[in-house]
Amino acid sequence: MGSDYDISDDDADYYDDEEMMDGTQDDEEGDDDTESADDMDYGDDFKVSTKAKRKPYEVEYESLSQQAVEKLMQRDVDHICGIFGVEPDTASLLLRHSKWNKEKLIENYMDNANSVLVAAGVTLPEPAETSARTHNITSSSQQQSSASRRPATRGSKLLGLASSSKSGVKSPSPPKALSRTPSRKTDEPFVCTICFNDAPDLQTLALDCEHMFCTDCWTDYVMAKVRDESEHSIRCMAEGCALVAPDQFVRTILLAPAGPDTSEEEQAAKEKTWDRLQELFVRHFVACNTNLKFCPYPSCTNTVSCPSAASKSSLTTVVPIVSCGARGIGAQDSASSMSSSQQFVNGLGLKGKEHKFCFGCPIESDHRPVICSVAKMWMKKCRDDSETANWIKSNTKECSQCQSTIEKNGGCNHMTCKKCKHEFCWVCMGPWSEHGTAWYSCNRYDEKTGVDARDAQSKSRASLERYLHYYNRWANHEQSAKLALDLYAKTEKKMEEMQITSALTWIEVQFMKKAVEEVDKCRMTLKWTYAMAYYLAKGNEKDLFEDNQRDLEKAVEDLSELLESPIEAENIPTLRQQVTNKTVYVQKRNEIVLEDTAVGFLEGRWKWNVSVEGFDAPEEA
Amino acid sequence: MDARLRRVNKEIADCKNDKTSQIKIELIDESPFHLKGSFPGPEGTAYEGGTFEVDIVIPESYPFQPVKMKFITKVYHPNVSSASGAICLDILKDAWSPVLTLKSTLISLQSLLCSPEPNDPQDAEVAKHYMTSKSSFEDTARYWTQIYAGGPGPKDKGGKAGGKDGQDEVAIAGLERAHVDRFESLGFQRSKVIDTLRRLNYRGANVSQITDDRVVEELLK
Repeated sequence: MGSDYDISDDDADYYDDEEMMDGTQDDEEGDDDTESADDMDYGDDFKVSTKAKRKPYEVEYESLSQQAVEKLMQRDVDHICGIFGVEPDTASLLLRHSKWNKEKLIENYMDNANSVLVAAGVTLPEPAETSARTHNITSSSQQQSSASRRPATRGSKLLGLASSSKSGVKSPSPPKALSRTPSRKTDEPFVCTICFNDAPDLQTLALDCEHMFCTDCWTDYVMAKVRDESEHSIRCMAEGCALVAPDQFVRTILLAPAGPDTSEEEQAAKEKTWDRLQELFVRHFVACNTNLKFCPYPSCTNTVSCPSAASKSSLTTVVPIVSCGARGIGAQDSASSMSSSQQFVNGLGLKGKEHKFCFGCPIESDHRPVICSVAKMWMKKCRDDSETANWIKSNTKECSQCQSTIEKNGGCNHMTCKKCKHEFCWVCMGPWSEHGTAWYSCNRYDEKTGVDARDAQSKSRASLERYLHYYNRWANHEQSAKLALDLYAKTEKKMEEMQITSALTWIEVQFMKKAVEEVDKCRMTLKWTYAMAYYLAKGNEKDLFEDNQRDLEKAVEDLSELLESPIEAENIPTLRQQVTNKTVYVQKRNEIVLEDTAVGFLEGRWKWNVSVEGFDAPEEA
Repeated sequence: MDARLRRVNKEIADCKNDKTSQIKIELIDESPFHLKGSFPGPEGTAYEGGTFEVDIVIPESYPFQPVKMKFITKVYHPNVSSASGAICLDILKDAWSPVLTLKSTLISLQSLLCSPEPNDPQDAEVAKHYMTSKSSFEDTARYWTQIYAGGPGPKDKGGKAGGKDGQDEVAIAGLERAHVDRFESLGFQRSKVIDTLRRLNYRGANVSQITDDRVVEELLK
């Protein structure tokens, strides 16, 4: 069984809920059924197998290469071709225009095929300027209104107008590469209205609208659209013309065999543009499909499919951390030219970083165990200068006359505002003159207003301290993660050292690398547990969570310390033993934190101290 | 990109040869990619008689990207920024087509002056003025044409009594002199009164809806 089978069968999974038209697909559906039966039997090259033993904190997902997504698209296109009886290029245009919503497209098409075709830029709108040129369209649209029961025939008739003059079966509307023969209209020499070139051997092209322009202008236009505007829909260049160039047309423009006067660079640029266009198509398809997300890592073109995290409500119970399967950042062509030690660092460090990201939110790192909405809330809080305001609130007061913010940095309670020279008491905020003879000790301290003011102030100070407690720990782990690169380099040195000073072989010193990786991973978990703990409502659940957190933290710090300890030849065996033990322990603790939290989400065990989308409002404390 | 140069040169030459359209394109400096266009205000509008100059910048990938145009002459129009001259017109953005030329774009600008689109404004204050009282708007637009675009002087009423610089701030702001005088007499600076009333759109039917207290409140801010 080839991989084609796999694809179609993935597809069946995706579109389960938006199933196809009844009755039109009998044989295909039959196929699908048999396929999904032996679904488990054969793996796939581009699948990251997560089905085998999925932990509660992991989600089921698949990584798809660009080609795989293209095959998914092709399947939709074939499906539409089969129903409407149109050419693949037309089906592509229709699907892109309807944002790959097949159901809606089919419905609208059955309703009024012509208006859908016009809106998608496949055909010209009806009131054609001259009857001679467009009689094909009018006749076919007439036929549409009468013969509404037979979509297949109608569609092919429609397309017939495009391919009638051509011999090719596959290309629906191959561009008319005429060497300046717009003879029909006039005998004047053709002048391209864009570049004003009137060379007699000018190559020209036109879509079905017959707005003719020279091939060079078409090329420049397509390149500008695709490269500068990242636009995948290439409309006719004529003003007000809504016709969209079919893929075959663009292909001819960009991938036509190089002429004698085309330089190699130009040809390469064209090919690059074509590749970019294919990527834009894929990106558009992925953006239209909630089950799919494009890998956010720069210059990565993989897609991840994660149907279990596609709906917003599912994000309150799962943290859909996925990986597209690729590693490294940027082009990965330099690996071969690197020395082995460089490769090692790259294997550990930034270059070898797995493309992990969250399917549910824009955070481009593993934010388990905390769910997206809470993680986002935390990030926002850290980023906002709302905490600055909090500091100001705790440490300053406002002059009761001119409202300037004042920080009292020493001295007595007799304040004189620097700005407006207003004299007041720091304690009761009343004017100093009212204090009579009781200079330097405010006898109004115990009055109700004074007590209230003090309470409000200390409350605000407590919340600030609480935030700082969590923030400092969060930031500490973040900082450590940033320093991980250094640690990688240091560890690498140590591993080399060990190989020299002891009898250990390369494979036997790998325990160090494993330990470093584990520490890095756990720090990431720990970091986010602080965000989680900050928002967790007080109670037993939170206590348990913090116990787990503490155990993990302790284990991680112990292991970090071991990794930093100096290497002496005689204690390498003990060190090795200890590190290996600790690594396993840390791994276990990490699993416990992740698993327990994930299970907690599924059970709805966690309660928050703020209102979180999808959860019950917090009980008033 | 000699194609771009060839095209721009041809467009400039074509415009020179075309005597009927009254649209002019000239160089600002040596570069053919930074130009100045001008056209007469359309007849039968408040802009009649004026000459409107437009700053034109030809982008690198012209004609596949739209030209950048903005008014040099100050224009009182809902789709033109009264401060910067920036223009809100679809063909200068996503509706651009490579077949459009400098001349056809300038003609489009000319016709934009004929038919304002106040529901998609560039200058919200001007658009509000237009929606509130079209006749008052047209008076102001005519006055701007006269002051900035060299339009004909006032036909009947002696509108520009101020006469210091030959310009009348009240008329430029499209306000009634009586209103400005009234609030000025309360002890506010004249320029501030004009600014505030303009912002509040104190014109036409709105005058009865905005209380004096509200105006004073704004003036005290």
